[in-house]
Amino acid sequence: MELILNLLAAPGSNVVVTLLLSTLAYSSPLILGALAGLFSERSGVVNIGLEGKMLAAACATAFVGQASANPLIGLVAGIVTATIFSILHWVLTQVYKIDHIISGMGINAIALGGTSLIAKTYLDISEKEMPTFPVAIYYIAAWVAAVTVWYLLKTTRPGLRLFAVGNNPDKSRQMGLKPLVIRFQALLATGLLTGLAGALIATNAGKFSEDMTSGRGYIALAALILGGWKPWPTLAAAVAFGFFGSLQLILQGQNSSIPGQFWQALPYLITLVALAGMVGKNRAPAGLGQP
Amino acid sequence: MRAITKIFGNVIALDNVDLTVQTGHIHAIVGENGAGKTTLMKVLYGAHSATTGEYKLGENSQRFKNPEAAIAAGVGMVSQHYAIIPELTCLQNLLLGAEPGLVINQAQAIERAEQLATQMGFKFNWNQNAEELSPGQAQKLEILKLLWRNAKILILDEPTAMLAPEDADLLYAKLHELTQTGATVLVVTHRLPDVMEHCDEVTVLRGGKLIYTGPVSQTNPTELAEKMIGISMTEHSPTQSSPGDTILTVKNATVKGEKGEDAVKNISFELKSGELVGIAGVDGNGQRELFHALMGLKPSAGEFLLSDQNLSSLSTQQRIQVGIRLVAEDRHDEAVIERWTIAENAILGLQRTPGILKGKSIDRAQQTNLANTVTQLFPTRFDHINQPFRDLSGGNQQKVVVARALQQDPKVILAFQPTRGIDLYVADLVYQGLIKATREGATVLVVSFDLDELMTYCDRILVMNHGVLKEVPNSLRSDRQAIGRMMVGADE
Amino acid sequence: MKFLGWKQIVLAIAGFTLIILALIVAKAIPAEALRQVIEKALTKPSGWRNILQESTPLILLGCSVFLALKVGLFNIGADGQFVIGACAAVVVALNVPGPIAIPLSILAGILGGALWAYPVGLIKAYRGGHEVITTIMLNNIAAFFTFYLVSGPIKDPTSQQPSTASISTAAELPNLYEKLPFKLNSSILFAIVCVIGLWWYLKKTVGGYEISATGENTNVARFAGINVNRIIVRTMSASGAIAGLAGALQVLAFEHRFYGNFSPGYGFDALGVALLASSNPLGILASGLLFGTISESTSVLSRTGVPKGLSYILLGVLVIVFAAYRYRKEAQSGTDS
Repeated sequence: MELILNLLAAPGSNVVVTLLLSTLAYSSPLILGALAGLFSERSGVVNIGLEGKMLAAACATAFVGQASANPLIGLVAGIVTATIFSILHWVLTQVYKIDHIISGMGINAIALGGTSLIAKTYLDISEKEMPTFPVAIYYIAAWVAAVTVWYLLKTTRPGLRLFAVGNNPDKSRQMGLKPLVIRFQALLATGLLTGLAGALIATNAGKFSEDMTSGRGYIALAALILGGWKPWPTLAAAVAFGFFGSLQLILQGQNSSIPGQFWQALPYLITLVALAGMVGKNRAPAGLGQP
Repeated sequence: MRAITKIFGNVIALDNVDLTVQTGHIHAIVGENGAGKTTLMKVLYGAHSATTGEYKLGENSQRFKNPEAAIAAGVGMVSQHYAIIPELTCLQNLLLGAEPGLVINQAQAIERAEQLATQMGFKFNWNQNAEELSPGQAQKLEILKLLWRNAKILILDEPTAMLAPEDADLLYAKLHELTQTGATVLVVTHRLPDVMEHCDEVTVLRGGKLIYTGPVSQTNPTELAEKMIGISMTEHSPTQSSPGDTILTVKNATVKGEKGEDAVKNISFELKSGELVGIAGVDGNGQRELFHALMGLKPSAGEFLLSDQNLSSLSTQQRIQVGIRLVAEDRHDEAVIERWTIAENAILGLQRTPGILKGKSIDRAQQTNLANTVTQLFPTRFDHINQPFRDLSGGNQQKVVVARALQQDPKVILAFQPTRGIDLYVADLVYQGLIKATREGATVLVVSFDLDELMTYCDRILVMNHGVLKEVPNSLRSDRQAIGRMMVGADE
Repeated sequence: MKFLGWKQIVLAIAGFTLIILALIVAKAIPAEALRQVIEKALTKPSGWRNILQESTPLILLGCSVFLALKVGLFNIGADGQFVIGACAAVVVALNVPGPIAIPLSILAGILGGALWAYPVGLIKAYRGGHEVITTIMLNNIAAFFTFYLVSGPIKDPTSQQPSTASISTAAELPNLYEKLPFKLNSSILFAIVCVIGLWWYLKKTVGGYEISATGENTNVARFAGINVNRIIVRTMSASGAIAGLAGALQVLAFEHRFYGNFSPGYGFDALGVALLASSNPLGILASGLLFGTISESTSVLSRTGVPKGLSYILLGVLVIVFAAYRYRKEAQSGTDS
């Protein structure tokens, strides 16, 4: 990402283009994260563990990539790691029936602790250059994922079943669906998408650093909620948050009177105001958190 | 089906039951609550597996492991609790679990759905959300779901429980048409008139045992009723009540329903000390809203007086304190906290009444007393008042809930289906308890969907239909048909 | 009657393996790590001092989360309320002279925390907005807001760091007992009183009864004549007030100033403390001490080269295993129905 920004900061480049491109850069991990959350929560599994999964994926992508000097192996490691955490969440919430929030918090803690442990212990590996795929691939993946999710939910059998199970697991069971299996599949999708999101974050930075997702998992969750758990509005919210993020970066350079923290806090503030104002009770999947 | 036995724990729900159903017939399964009707059907449908026994479909011996296997073989069931997901559209509900292919072709699906609906004479807006469906429409959608899955044997559990009589007749007419095309219908019901009028064959179960099976034409209602209940019931004659002063006055009350419609329309009535008054009516005609308004759980217009005290400005808590009690409709979600102990539940709602509340604390000795009282009022089977409430059986739970409403000096007791889920013997005890409370000066208002029950026990009967309340004149007090007509507004 | 089923045992073993694995990944020898912890944290006065110091805010925050859990809310926002409470207390302590600074600062902390939790209750009660989301939002807003304050408006001009000046010694909470290196600050008394007060309120009073009823089932509570919305707003505010108190005490007793990124991420620890206390508020004392001990132990290990990240893994595993155990217990008592 720095490469792009540097390129754009070169004399002659247009501010609008800069803003557009950096919005793309900022919003892509949010889009991936929010869509990951959409799969999980639509199936009825509350997922505040997006942050931890993204962080773990970022760590795995960077370290395995650096160690193997192969971007593909790194990316696969990231996706696998996020998927393992996602499956862990499924086991804890569906098999052990642990409260979804406790499980999500626990996974976040383990991911934060584990990645920090690795980052501090294996400094020699993190010195190496991280092999990467071009970020554009991830941007495309994010938008393709958005369209796919929309299509899936709108007209396909898995989409209908996901929707039904998330709204009413008991009645879905009566209709012969298997909520546990459907949720497992949904969480696999969550793993894949958080894996991509984490890999993108690591790719942007060119290496792993502690807590490098810095709350973006939560912002993705906020986008999902703002978007009413629907694909297009969720995408719009993620892009809007990305836009504010890049706006902050540009305005910070201009020594504006509004402090940078304001822009950082803005997505959270907007979500809060939206929750206080209009987002009604009925928009969340009705079966969220139910066994 | 032959020699079906189903054992739950140490309860024998079905004891060696044989059942033969002929293709193209409507076959009724009748019996009291807990007679094993639903269990038998669930065994057939694969939702329960039989402990022993076998059944044959045509010539083939079958034993469905799960409902999916049953539906694949053409056996479908509409259970009493509809499997309709309110957030989905009608079409999505219809398809769910039996979608035509990985990608759903909306237009084709609607075409076939429309075909099935026309065949049955139903009409649906397929893209409407299912939550907007009335109980009757939901029932129809459930039947279409079975047809969508090509079911040849339809099992309907209490299909007319939620329907107005004319809708019920219509439903049976359509079921008849279906049987003409080779389908077979099994109806679980406890409404004998339905059986006599619409069914070809009838099977009576009692206490898990097969009592009778044969063509409807060879039996009569009296005989069936005796077979269902066993001993012929001694008719209860209400001891003549002597109404005292007016306790509760309701004038021009109007209450809005869930969707903003007027669920209760400008009704007025009075309740006197010492009387037990019943509200008859089909479910969903404003009874719920009226009770909630009386408890202060729902805003309402009109005048509500307890003796001379105006209730309108009182909160639910204050209404409890002045002596209004509610036996709530939904035990699990309105009346008790099942994770709590019996003792903790015994004071729920009464926690701020005098004696229980001392200063800001709860008087534990009083709480224990009350818990003992409510568990002894109706003989309740339990080990200890500090055991979790959910360890009690449904019937015992209901006894405690009713007993609780009779504590701490009640003046007005509102009972919504107080005998729901309990057997006739305990139901009688519950009504005796309520009558005893009226003898002590309280007034009791009962909502029940069981007209016979109300006719047996109540001093007066009111009828609610589409939010309008009418009193049954004394002359018609024991005319079941006339009250039935009032319930559906066919009395004018 | 089995307390643990095989599923729980499998989970506990998996958790234990994960911790051992983490130690190995961190290139530490588990037995050696244990020896270090026993030697430097558990058997030395300086270790005890640190454990008690760490436990004080954890016990208070545990109370805060416990109370909110009772009314059915996950107060993930104890962290933000803690930070706001601490910041408010510092502002008052820096501007009010002499001994009255202590009560006023504490009051400011309590108010700050309550204020930060108030909208959470409101949004939950009247809009149905999930408290976990609103508290996560408010945590981040609190972090950015206070960071902005300490890097501008209330920054100590002489400092290089985003930090306020130190409060005067008169505004510091005194130590109860001091025999260096052991110290015990009086703030622990607040924590103990808070736990006992919470126990009394929840177990004995009608207010506590109504909070529990609301937490179990809001609809049943409504039918029992409880003003559910009011109880949710008030309890959430009280929960925030306790977290704010913890923040104020942290400043007055230990830190003596406020700086950017003030909380080391107490929110999750507090949730763990409350969960481990299970249904009895008095258990918060024990679980708070346990978490304080874990924190100090991993601090000791971090000095021998095992990164502090280990503590998060430990806490995460502990909370998950315990939650699995607790839910099994609940499921068991319901098998008859």
